[in-house]
Amino acid sequence: MLWIAVHLPQLSLESFATTVNPIWRDRPMALIESHRITQVDARAAELGIQQGAKRATALALAGDLVLGQADPARDAQALQAVAYVALELTPMVCIEACDSSGAAVPVVLLEVQASLRCFGGFTRLVDHLRRALQPLGHSVQVASAPTALGAAMLARWRRDLVSGPHSVDLGALQCLLDAAPVWLLGPGREHWEALQGMGLRQLSDLRRLPRSGLARRFGTALLADLDRARGDAPDPREAIICPNVFEQRIELFTRADTAEQMMAGARVLISRLVAWARVRHARVAAFTLRMHHEAHRLRDAHSSELAVGLAEPSIDATHLASLLAERLARTPLAGPALEMSLHCDAVVQAAAPNAELFPTRGAEREGLTRLIERLQARLGAEGVQRLALVADHRPERAVSSMPAQSAIASNTAPSAPTLDGGPVRPLWLLREPLPLPEHGSRPWLDGTPLQLLAGPERIESGWWDGDLAARDYFIARTLDGALVWVYRARLPLSEPDGAGWFLQGRFA
Amino acid sequence: MDLSPALDVPAATAGKPAALQLPPHEPSHGQRTSKHSAAERAQAFDFANIGLWRAHQFDTARKGVTATGFMALDAELPGGGWPHRVLTELLLPHPGLGELRLLVPALSRIAGAGDASVPIGRSVMLFDPPAALCGWALAQLGVDAQQLLVVYGREGARGAATLRRMLPSADLLWALEQALKSGHVGAVLAWLPLRLKADALRRLQLAAQAHDGPVFLFREVDARTKPSAAPLRLLLQGAGIDRLSVRVLKRRGPLLTQPLELSLPRVLSERLRQRAEAKAQAAVAATQQTHSSVEASR
Repeated sequence: MLWIAVHLPQLSLESFATTVNPIWRDRPMALIESHRITQVDARAAELGIQQGAKRATALALAGDLVLGQADPARDAQALQAVAYVALELTPMVCIEACDSSGAAVPVVLLEVQASLRCFGGFTRLVDHLRRALQPLGHSVQVASAPTALGAAMLARWRRDLVSGPHSVDLGALQCLLDAAPVWLLGPGREHWEALQGMGLRQLSDLRRLPRSGLARRFGTALLADLDRARGDAPDPREAIICPNVFEQRIELFTRADTAEQMMAGARVLISRLVAWARVRHARVAAFTLRMHHEAHRLRDAHSSELAVGLAEPSIDATHLASLLAERLARTPLAGPALEMSLHCDAVVQAAAPNAELFPTRGAEREGLTRLIERLQARLGAEGVQRLALVADHRPERAVSSMPAQSAIASNTAPSAPTLDGGPVRPLWLLREPLPLPEHGSRPWLDGTPLQLLAGPERIESGWWDGDLAARDYFIARTLDGALVWVYRARLPLSEPDGAGWFLQGRFA
Repeated sequence: MDLSPALDVPAATAGKPAALQLPPHEPSHGQRTSKHSAAERAQAFDFANIGLWRAHQFDTARKGVTATGFMALDAELPGGGWPHRVLTELLLPHPGLGELRLLVPALSRIAGAGDASVPIGRSVMLFDPPAALCGWALAQLGVDAQQLLVVYGREGARGAATLRRMLPSADLLWALEQALKSGHVGAVLAWLPLRLKADALRRLQLAAQAHDGPVFLFREVDARTKPSAAPLRLLLQGAGIDRLSVRVLKRRGPLLTQPLELSLPRVLSERLRQRAEAKAQAAVAATQQTHSSVEASR
């Protein structure tokens, strides 16, 4: 067995950073617990703020320090997303949010022995893992070992190493562990001072002592952990199962007033959504963003929903984010948002997209669908329309358009019309026929008389849908030679202002 | 008169120092002139590759064109057709002159004729057209109406028409730029308002470089005096029934002073057309007669 452990030393701080207003992102940040600083980011550390410092001290060192509180639920959601990414590589993934003593040490463990060949060896697999973790934006420490606990300990050992120690066989792991400090063992932390006082610094010191005495002093858990880490005792683990529905929420540290502020949090949620969809080998067909708004009065407390549907399911995070951003930009927010959650249960099983070297028709159609989606996200569904041919003799009914769904035209429209030699129709049709004045029994357009060239072509009836038409159509020419399509209404009685000449279209 | 075509340098290469390099001077100049004439040397040096051409020649560096379907027009356009990856500006006094019938042969080449036997064509996007497009008429002219996508700015379908004529909608320009940048559209037709900033046009011109197909911008005649980044500008005017007069205002090539007369795909049958012409002549004669009789009575 080969376990890879991914330790996320800054998880609480990073998950807190996603909830912060994006304009504060470049300010120093720290987490605080009962008036003591528990975690600091690189900027705050540069300013001299250390773990365990008092709140007042920290604020004196950095006036613009953003102080947040660790939230186990928030951390668990972030860790869940890391586990989704890991599930891409192997089905055997387990989450260790805290060690057996209860201290929060977020680690995700993967058993990858069976996946090595598929991903082209250990180095490539670790590279793949790192690349896949990148969109989530966490700093990670990776280590590998033949035992799960051993890998977790190695990953937590050295903070300065981006890639922790890797050991392939049990002997190498035991050698490494002998040199490891005692505090790596979970329960060791409780008795840290006692162990220190006894001069026990490394695991090898601990191992040299009689087991019964150790068990009596420090409990059996310490020895059990040591045995499991070294591979002397079995360490059964339970793999996590990917849920069928994606649901994650972010409680915002600062309220979001604008779409950009919403998007800062939503981007993180979308990258987690994509990780989830990848595990299920599916593409996202639709998702919903729920926003909980600030209430001025108690009864005002409300939430709103923004549903985004895709014409063509996709697992491209940037595409999903751009669609949501366009929708958010044109939807007025009901109020400042305090909390948002992303919900997705509409996925479509599909093969992974093929990367193509040269542009092809298929790629172009997919790109066009995305373009249409992006345009519709901003302009509304009515903003991009496709012409539809309707078999009707009345020109205003024969031409209609409907919102374009995807790059591929629907096949419901009548097939290629056989109008060769049929009546001619103008390319431009006015949305509303334009009434024309009549002087000397000739219609006038723009102050000049029209010369009727061809016609009349009588278009009549339509009693079945209440849109009765009785018109004589003529092709007429204007002074500069342009051809227009005009008609004379033949039913002046039915509509009082419907008599006389009208301009219907232009032969463009 | 627009004198810019000869001075125009393609935007793609304008920034590069290569465009400014002149044909290399050979050190043994005196010896070589006897063997090679200046014209030969100029020919040996590939002007086209660095985006330069001589004012009396056509720019032959054009990467792709779509034939216009009109022999006379093809002969006058650099590369022999509607250029790809650049803007083409069509100025016309009012919509309905026959401007679409001018483009129909090219569009049917791009979109296909809607025939099942022909492989599916590429799509054509229309931005803010002045009126509804009749699919049947397009099908009659041999363009697959299913490939057409019509995009309206947010206030497009319902907004104040007069205002829209004057000021471009930011949404529409954004959409146009997105469509051009994506490179997935076969052809783009856009009706742009009069008061369009020159930098907006330049932006579109840059975006068009990713677009492998022609881009037609329809603007009013008044835009003629305004600077434009489009390397090809044509002025369209009506010239009788089913005829269109095309004047090349700007092209990458020599100046063309004579307008071209094109006969468009026909609306009227030959018999009707002749009758109409006869009627028109009769009307003209009648007015002249009345004028002369009025003058005689005076």
